[in-house]
Amino acid sequence: MSKNPDITAEPVSDTPPRVSLWELIFFFGLIGLTSFGGGLTAYIRRLAVTQKGWLTDEEFFSALAIVQILPGARVVGISVYIGNHLRGLLGATVALLSIMTPPFILVSCLGLLYFHYGENTDSKALLAGVTAVACGLMASMVFEAGQKAIRGVFDVMMILITFLLVRLAHLHVQYVILLLGPIAIWWHRPRPDKKDEAQKQKEVAS
Amino acid sequence: MIQTFGHLVALFMILSISAFGGGKVVLPTLQQQAVNHYHWMSNQQFVDLFGISIIDGPSMMVVTLVGLKACMEYGYVIAILGALVATVAMFLPSSILVLIVGRFWDSWKTSPWHESIQRAMMPISTGLILAAAFIIAKHSIHTIPTAIMGVIALCLMLFTKLNPVIMIVAAAGISWVFLR
Repeated sequence: MSKNPDITAEPVSDTPPRVSLWELIFFFGLIGLTSFGGGLTAYIRRLAVTQKGWLTDEEFFSALAIVQILPGARVVGISVYIGNHLRGLLGATVALLSIMTPPFILVSCLGLLYFHYGENTDSKALLAGVTAVACGLMASMVFEAGQKAIRGVFDVMMILITFLLVRLAHLHVQYVILLLGPIAIWWHRPRPDKKDEAQKQKEVAS
Repeated sequence: MIQTFGHLVALFMILSISAFGGGKVVLPTLQQQAVNHYHWMSNQQFVDLFGISIIDGPSMMVVTLVGLKACMEYGYVIAILGALVATVAMFLPSSILVLIVGRFWDSWKTSPWHESIQRAMMPISTGLILAAAFIIAKHSIHTIPTAIMGVIALCLMLFTKLNPVIMIVAAAGISWVFLR
């Protein structure tokens, strides 16, 4: 009946929006230029998920979990993931280059100044306010992620157990994910919903 | 010179794929290798360079400065080349790994398990962020002004749609003027 069955098979919301490479360069370049005092995951989420709508919270946080199991800086990992998600290999390359170039130039210049003049720039003091604000951003992400994550008592328990394992037991992040992940995945395992069952019964009846 | 480049590449590629849990995990190894093994710099220089490197960019930007210092004896141009070599060797391998796993993960979208994993990871990710917020708070909120700035940032994020770029730039400005 429909001319193009492929389009109807895939819901529109699942396909990421079309984003130009220039927009990616500007987006990640700006983050690279302003990620003072280290990587700010909350910062990227607010811009990419809330403001741009490039990916959903579910996509963002599961990607964040994957990135944290793998080695490497979290911010770089999530940028590469978003780049690939939007524009494939080219997008990932552009994201990586754009987020790394501004800090590379800035840090190299400061390094040359240090070795040339023996100037000791103590970035820590300069960044006191920035890290405090970064902490506020992080805390806001807890609230916003919590809103999406909590759909039952099980989810609340998972949040608390994760927190306690990291803070009190000092377990490494990737071990926490590898330990709790399978339990949570099993809890949320695909279950045949009523629609499927009704369809099955129909098939059996016919 | 070529030998120094080789050492940089070998060292940082290994560190890149062994930095499980973020760059900070391999910092002690980097310090040991750069100071005691290769004698690229003194311990005090390493500490100074780390202090400079946290100004901007992802954690472990210190590798850029280690590369810079390691090649410094060949002149400034080679030194910048060394910084570039070190940075690429540190960030490229882990990025390729993320790319491969990310593509695999996205291609898996049609499976019902994909949604299960997404649902399962939401609360775990939330717990990890909660823990990270506590750790950052411990290291960043020391004085009353920093505490006020943190709370203001939290409120602005929760109750307004203010662009966080503006908040970060403003925070940097305030730090520069008042908290130095």
